[in-house]
Amino acid sequence: MLKGKLKFIVAIAVIALTVSYLVYAGVKDTMVYYLTVEELKDQVPSVYDDRVRVSGIVVPGTIIQNAGEPLMFTLTEGGETVDITYEGIVPDIFRDDIEAVVEGVYTRDNIFVADTLLAKCPTKYESTDSLYEEASGEGYRYNEDKPY
Amino acid sequence: MVEIGRISVLLSFMVSVYVLAASLYGAKARRRDFIKSAEHGAIAVFVLLLIAAGALLYLLVNLDFSLKYVALNTSTDLAFIYRITSLWAGQAGSLLLWSLILSLYTALVVIQGRNKNRELMPYVTATLSVVLIFFIYIIGFVESPFEKLPFTPTEGNGLNPILQNGYMAIHPLTLYLGYVGVTVPFAFAMGALLSGRLGDEWIRLSRKWALIAWTFLAVGLLLGARWAYLELGWGGYWAWDPVENAAFMPWLVATAFIHSVMIQEKKGMLKKWNIILIILTFFLAIFGTFVTRSGIISSVHSFAQSDIGPLFLGFIAFILLFSFAIFIYRSKELESENQFDSILSRESAFIFNNLLFLGAAFAVFLGTIFPIVSEAVVGHKILVGSPYFNAVNVPIALVLIFLMGVGPVISWRKASRENLVKNFMSPVILSVLTAVVLVVFGIRDVTALLSYALCMFVTATVFTEFIKGVRVRSKRGENPLLAFTRLVSKNKRRYGGYIVHLGVVLIVIGVTSSSVFVTEKLVTLTEGEAATVRDYTLTYKGLEQYTTDAKDATAAELSVFKGHKDLGVMVPEKNIYKYEGNREINQETEVALRSSFTDDLYIILSNVGTDGTATFRVIINPMVSWIWAGGIVLLLGAIVTMWPSGRKKREEVFIRYSLGEKDIAAKA
Repeated sequence: MLKGKLKFIVAIAVIALTVSYLVYAGVKDTMVYYLTVEELKDQVPSVYDDRVRVSGIVVPGTIIQNAGEPLMFTLTEGGETVDITYEGIVPDIFRDDIEAVVEGVYTRDNIFVADTLLAKCPTKYESTDSLYEEASGEGYRYNEDKPY
Repeated sequence: MVEIGRISVLLSFMVSVYVLAASLYGAKARRRDFIKSAEHGAIAVFVLLLIAAGALLYLLVNLDFSLKYVALNTSTDLAFIYRITSLWAGQAGSLLLWSLILSLYTALVVIQGRNKNRELMPYVTATLSVVLIFFIYIIGFVESPFEKLPFTPTEGNGLNPILQNGYMAIHPLTLYLGYVGVTVPFAFAMGALLSGRLGDEWIRLSRKWALIAWTFLAVGLLLGARWAYLELGWGGYWAWDPVENAAFMPWLVATAFIHSVMIQEKKGMLKKWNIILIILTFFLAIFGTFVTRSGIISSVHSFAQSDIGPLFLGFIAFILLFSFAIFIYRSKELESENQFDSILSRESAFIFNNLLFLGAAFAVFLGTIFPIVSEAVVGHKILVGSPYFNAVNVPIALVLIFLMGVGPVISWRKASRENLVKNFMSPVILSVLTAVVLVVFGIRDVTALLSYALCMFVTATVFTEFIKGVRVRSKRGENPLLAFTRLVSKNKRRYGGYIVHLGVVLIVIGVTSSSVFVTEKLVTLTEGEAATVRDYTLTYKGLEQYTTDAKDATAAELSVFKGHKDLGVMVPEKNIYKYEGNREINQETEVALRSSFTDDLYIILSNVGTDGTATFRVIINPMVSWIWAGGIVLLLGAIVTMWPSGRKKREEVFIRYSLGEKDIAAKA
């Protein structure tokens, strides 16, 4: 009986340890720092050749996309800018002035070579600002005749 | 209409508070009239919220832009169907839907249990009403869907084009039915703890509810994956995004729960464990809603950011503290009636299954909240991405598939050598053979080989079970087909469960194939030029530009051959949505997809050059369709397990029998 119980405890411990090890190794091998453009610039040169994730705003007019070449653009934040090259699928909502997140390596020639590009959905779908802008303009009311 | 909606919400809040008070007082003072009245109240809450939701739907369909929610989520050019689905496109509407579904479940629970389990039920009703009060409070006083704008705009913000998709119409609804469904078994567990009726009653009563919630979560996850695959245009269906994880975690723990309750039913063990599991499942469901709704963790799916975060955190803290406190208070009464005899037994297979599901959920949870935790602890935001989730979950998943083959056929208590040899000999041989054949055919990826071999192992054990059952019945003179139908219909839970397992096997095969053997190629073509990817040949035929009411489309035509077989023309598009309004997301990539049993050809038009070239991203995803097929099988199996049986008596006989067995064991 006792032997059976011991076996159990050992088996459970093995499972728990394995899962913990997988978590530990997974975190250690895959973790990346999430920096803003400013923080990235602050950490030069130690940040060179490390895999990091950087977020910033796409500088209007800097997006260059030529067929067969990587996408190029510049991110800005806190007064600093960083040039990005990226090869891969460009999200539909990626464009000027949007908040973008890139993951990759900052190389010694000060180009950020990204292999992941995420664009943040602008929160305007839950914002009334644009509605107010419009209200201050023309006065036409859509459902005016509805008696609520 | 606005007033009707607002008043219904306020009334439903007051009635819910009354339901809570009356059922608690009724239970304490043993006043049946109060309990009855509380139950009627619970039904009234559902009716009131139904009116509120109806009012909001009416306003959405009729585009009353004076209402903030309508102005934010619709526009004049929005199709009728998406005016309806915008009920759950935004924050306030989603939360109204949450409350409505919960009140529906509550009403059903009350009606179902109106003459039974009189000691337990008042506390179940009370628990459900606490959760309802929280959600109705939010839609009534914090984020009201019936908030008016101080003026009436001429045009609304419109619905995000990537949400205008049939899957997006049903995926959130399905997921909500799952998230909310978890509340019911949790309420039964709380009812058991509060009333002190800690036997199998709550398990028996909540079992079907747990299965319903589990099924909706599973189907909702798959629908979400399919939506991402068709709509997000990056060639994948799962990215370990926080919002995906948010729904995946409660599903993982719910899976552990629906397995471990079987041990409690059959052996009277794991009583504490089951209560912990359902508390965790409910916590993760609320946490999932919180993550999705609060925007605390940045995600491609989070379409909302708001200030209801602190409220949710408070509620989560309250739930955890309260339920664990009452659990500790009662824990002495939750002793096991049996002991584990051997490590080679069905009980222990279930225990390992549980530990692994919990381990996976823990790993996913940690990965999801890692940025927040790391920022708090070391001051830097540190992310772990898909590689982390894959590295942790793939090995766990492989062991779980193995257990899925072992669990159903290994004997209870202690497996003898004969039992092991008899049941596992042919499945083991078959799976080894599978691996050998695949190696011969040139597959060298160890993970893939293991996965396929284990899938074969599970399939073989499941089929052996079916064949064994049919054979026993055929010997009694039934023809095999009749024997099969009777076998399944008389043991719906068991054989339905096997069918679910087969569905999972199909999903695993699809996931393995499409993640290990994917081919991706970026090609830039001029008109008339052809490119070859694997055995597909694509010839660029030219661009077509057309305009509809809603969009300016740029469509690239490709004629596609697989070997010598003409597959016709495929047309990936890049669309610009036309707006006069104030919408910002106006680009949408329309993927061209040709799906077959063996592989999916997935073409994205990534760029159109000024020099007449077009750049395509061509992805060949093997066996993705197996995932969706597996989902259908899983759903069918789940329906079989839940199918109501006309034989209530049979079940009772079975329960008495197992109680008798326990009594004997207790005396021995």
